[in-house]
Amino acid sequence: MTARRSGYKFVLYCAAVALVASACSRSDSPTGQGNAPGKAANTATWALPPNTVPNWIWPLTPLSNFSVVNAANFQWLMFRPLYWFGDSSGGPGINPDLSLAQLPVFSNGDRTVTITMKPYAWSNGEQVTAADVIFWINMEKAEKANYAGYVPGQFPDNVKSATAPNDTTVVLTLDRAYGQQWFTYNQLGQITPMPMAWDVTGPSSKGSCATSVAGCAAVYEYMLKQTKDLPSYATNPLWQVVDGPWKLSSFNADGHVSFVPNPAYSGPQKPTLAKFIMAPYTTDSAEFNVLRSGRTLDVGYLPTQDLTQAKPADSGPSSAGPNPLSSKYTLAPLFLYGVNFFPLNFGNPTAGPIFKQLYFRQALQSVVDQESIIKTAAKGYGVPTTGPVPSYPDSPLISDLEKRNPYPFDMAAAKNYLTSNGWNVVPGGTSTCARPGTGAGECGAGISAGQQLEFNLQYASGQQTIDTAMQSLKSNASQIGIKLTLSTAPFNTVIATAVPCSGAKCTWQMQNWGGGWVYAPDYYPTGESIFGTGAGSNSGSFSDKGIDTLIAATNTQSGTEVMHTYEDALAKALPVVWQPNYTYELLEIANGLHGVTPQNPFAGITPEAWHY
Amino acid sequence: MTLPPVALTEGTAERPETAAPTATGLPAGKAKGMLRLGAEVYVQNRLAVVGLVVLGALVFFSFAGPFLYHTDQIDVNLAEANQAPGPLHLLGTDATGYDELGRLMVGGRASLTIGFAAAVIATVVGTLWGAISGFFGGLVDAVLMRVVDALLAIPILFLLLFLVTIVRPTVSVMILVLGLTAWLVPARLVRGESLTIRVRDYVQAVRMMGGSSWRAVFRHILPNVAGTVIVNATFQVADAILLIAYLGYLGLGISPPATDWGGMLSDGTNFIFPNYWWLIYPPGVVIVVAVVAVNFVGDGLRDAVEVRLQRR
Amino acid sequence: MIPYLLRRVAQSVAVVLVVTIIVFILLHQLPGGPARAVLGDRATPLQVAQFNQQNGLNRPLVVQYFDYLHRWATGDFGFSYKLNQSVGSLLAQRLPKTLVLNALALLFTLVVAIPVGVIQAVRRNRLVDYLGTTLSFIFYAAPTFFLGLILIQVFSGKLGLLPPEAPQSDGVRPIFADFTAMVLPIVTLALLSIAGFSRYMRSSVLDNISADYVRTARSKGCSPVRVLRAHVLRNALIPIATLVGLSLPVLFAGALVTESIFNFPGMGLLFWQSAQTSDFPVELGVVLVTAVATVVGNLLADLSYVLLDPRVRFG
Repeated sequence: MTARRSGYKFVLYCAAVALVASACSRSDSPTGQGNAPGKAANTATWALPPNTVPNWIWPLTPLSNFSVVNAANFQWLMFRPLYWFGDSSGGPGINPDLSLAQLPVFSNGDRTVTITMKPYAWSNGEQVTAADVIFWINMEKAEKANYAGYVPGQFPDNVKSATAPNDTTVVLTLDRAYGQQWFTYNQLGQITPMPMAWDVTGPSSKGSCATSVAGCAAVYEYMLKQTKDLPSYATNPLWQVVDGPWKLSSFNADGHVSFVPNPAYSGPQKPTLAKFIMAPYTTDSAEFNVLRSGRTLDVGYLPTQDLTQAKPADSGPSSAGPNPLSSKYTLAPLFLYGVNFFPLNFGNPTAGPIFKQLYFRQALQSVVDQESIIKTAAKGYGVPTTGPVPSYPDSPLISDLEKRNPYPFDMAAAKNYLTSNGWNVVPGGTSTCARPGTGAGECGAGISAGQQLEFNLQYASGQQTIDTAMQSLKSNASQIGIKLTLSTAPFNTVIATAVPCSGAKCTWQMQNWGGGWVYAPDYYPTGESIFGTGAGSNSGSFSDKGIDTLIAATNTQSGTEVMHTYEDALAKALPVVWQPNYTYELLEIANGLHGVTPQNPFAGITPEAWHY
Repeated sequence: MTLPPVALTEGTAERPETAAPTATGLPAGKAKGMLRLGAEVYVQNRLAVVGLVVLGALVFFSFAGPFLYHTDQIDVNLAEANQAPGPLHLLGTDATGYDELGRLMVGGRASLTIGFAAAVIATVVGTLWGAISGFFGGLVDAVLMRVVDALLAIPILFLLLFLVTIVRPTVSVMILVLGLTAWLVPARLVRGESLTIRVRDYVQAVRMMGGSSWRAVFRHILPNVAGTVIVNATFQVADAILLIAYLGYLGLGISPPATDWGGMLSDGTNFIFPNYWWLIYPPGVVIVVAVVAVNFVGDGLRDAVEVRLQRR
Repeated sequence: MIPYLLRRVAQSVAVVLVVTIIVFILLHQLPGGPARAVLGDRATPLQVAQFNQQNGLNRPLVVQYFDYLHRWATGDFGFSYKLNQSVGSLLAQRLPKTLVLNALALLFTLVVAIPVGVIQAVRRNRLVDYLGTTLSFIFYAAPTFFLGLILIQVFSGKLGLLPPEAPQSDGVRPIFADFTAMVLPIVTLALLSIAGFSRYMRSSVLDNISADYVRTARSKGCSPVRVLRAHVLRNALIPIATLVGLSLPVLFAGALVTESIFNFPGMGLLFWQSAQTSDFPVELGVVLVTAVATVVGNLLADLSYVLLDPRVRFG
């Protein structure tokens, strides 16, 4: 009895000491240098992003299930796209080694595209042939509305005919000449060859989608039914026919998923791990608690708020700063190939006329202190956005103007934009239009005398970085009399509100979901879907005839010159408010696990290259 | 007796509700003597006295504090973010560079205002609903009570999630939302009491003499259930302060730069690993202290009310 | 007894119907409908229209509601907009987790709260009583996300005694195999509700101690301990049984915050996720299950009262 009592006291004492210790100092005792949890069993356990699990195995994914996790983290492990984006140095270009075909050859004045397949094989012994590509194209033609990557008027609408003269050659005849880069990246980038084993309408009845579009509806119906049966993913023979390095070995709809190597994988790098395992997490702090314990995760991620020290300002975006878990893990920031911005609603009846004024957008952009936000809120892990082309990773597509940043943080300039255009600036209050009219130095069309610079800005909740950035923006904006009323909402609510609209019901003003746009599967950053007049994802209804022409040119002409022209025009025109592009994940890789870096800028993972 | 199931989705949190006193039905009279008697009983409960004092101190801190301790709660200062406590900032600064002690005052205003105002709304709505239901009985009672049952069958956090995704969360909206989801328990309590009261002779007499039903509700039923209702209202205050904290954790709290203790605490818990303790423990402690104090006050009031009823 | 039962069942059905109507109306207050929230920022107006068409969202509300009723009646809860699973299979996946976690927490709560309540009552207005009251209120007043994180920080982060997440293997049996991982979630959840139960127990014991029959027993020479055990406790436990019945809905609804902190996705979290993505079928399914659990819980609470307390009789 006495012994037990003292034991009880001891536990209490420990708890008390720990509480005090946690309040005064932080001391994580490191154990096991370079001893990754999966090393003994030669497996790797990888943490899924918070609150996201794979749930769509068929590469023909509808919008509702179109996500980084379903495509890049799940389908690509088993079913390789025709072209793999993200090169061996971490850049956004095509990776020739991991692509299933040679680079396309353009002829006939860029109206004919010839694709030559490489000698890849399916795990059932069949070759990955031209017919598999035609199968995909037919299916996408038949089920356009059910594929997330489809944009009306583009692929496959712009393909007059697709033929396979032999097993290794696909010939596409286009309806007009297109820019080679744009067509390769944004159109052919959608294609994932599908095995003949999927051209079926029942367990033992052959379909005809690979040969005719008319046969696709029946095949789609059967395949959709299989895709909607999550519990059968690991056992359904359909999904065991893979051309990627991995095969599903177990699948639980709650996100616990594991893969084993595909012994018949014919690519350059065969897996050496015995198993690749995914672990789901409810929140990033739940993941971090597990990561910190160092018991299960070989590859996880560090929430930005758990960084104790910022990274030195002079180091490049991909380099890592001080790592609080350095005894067990190595830090590696991952940036996606995208730009971060939030839209202003040009269609709003009252605020729209103000947003349409370039000087107003210039003023607003000038109070966005990207450098400070990156330094403090993002602890150094972010890159400024200055135009439609991602400024990281480096590529020849980035123009000099974007690198210079036409609208850096500058409070004086911001104030000047307003005062020189007819506004009576009231620092700390609400500025009003003093000189209405459309002439030089006047407020502009649709703005009445006394109209106030007062707007609602809703942003996605749950991200400390965005939260801080928006409060900073509000505070800065108020200094030139732009009164922003902040509110938060779940990510999906923010997205759902930010729709292109017009008329009296078009009431939203500024919506910031925090992520801007990631260029996938439109891998070439031409922005026809986000900045073109009337484009589906042009949330704010930005419209500029000159820019529409420049966008069209990037789609139809080859080379970087046309890109630079478009890019400079957009960077100057401010169709949206640019904000810093933050890391997608601060990856933590167990010491002793190699081959995880450089990372793919489209979040594709290649555990076949990982080894202890 | 049917005990009301309790508010929070989180956990099986059953909170001590006022057990409906076996009500006697005298018209509200002899109020002064009763009040004094109640006060005497209240003072005997030491925890209740402590609770009242603490609550008063928190109100003073939140509402008068900013006049004694001046801080800038408007301009963000990223260069001063996450500073440890020092002579310039007694409790350090938060992720946007606001002074944490000053922020606790701002947050306290919101939390306390929401807590008290939501309790008042819930109590008024619930009391009227319950009194009407209990007094009229029959079909009216059946319909009104099925609505209450139905709303009680939806966990309150679920209900709040629906509402908050539709509206923009400001302090006044929060008061309304919380008030309009918390009236169910008082409604049930009051209905139970008025059921017993309405058969009393004097109420029957009022009706016989042609007095309007409304008059009976307001003159006779409401004063008699007042004690129970007031006790319940104090618990509603504590519940509202806690609920708003949970909403803050789910990202549905008051929109920045306004804040409340719950929002501050949930922001602070983000920094448990870098151990910015000044962002975690102060808001955590004030929430706990406030909620506990309110509960003690409620306990004391219950004792007072029960004694008052027993002595009659 | 039988007529009373029939009346209560009829009331319960009415309550569930009212719940579905309320929730259905609330859901459809969402401006713009669920399409954009489900399809994301790449959705074109055409795709939004198609989504509404496919899911029947362009029909009058009344028609949609009766459509749901009809399908529920046949046991079909619908198909999630977002998670590529039927609502039925989602519930089957999440409900056991929630039930196990909450039931264990409830059990732990009772094991702690009943003795604490009794001791407090017996030692009324002494130091032990004040201490018990204060401690249980402190745990009640500490928001779960605060309490849970501190527990993780201390017992997992600093001491390394317990895992920071609940068992991850599928099904209920592995949970018991990996029980150390269950300790923190259970304790976090239980600490919250100990206050309520121990307060009830305390006042219930107090009521009984002063009751006439206890005085009679004492005067007959029964020892205080025997009186306490044989008479007071038995009667004092009646309201606790009722309370347990009433906490059934919470068992079903799940503990959203605890589930999220300890990476243990149950019903509460399922509801939260679907609310964020406007996944109407899932939201309705969860609410329906919870509502049914609630009315059943209320019914059981009433019945337990009838059965346990011989003084209560229904005509």
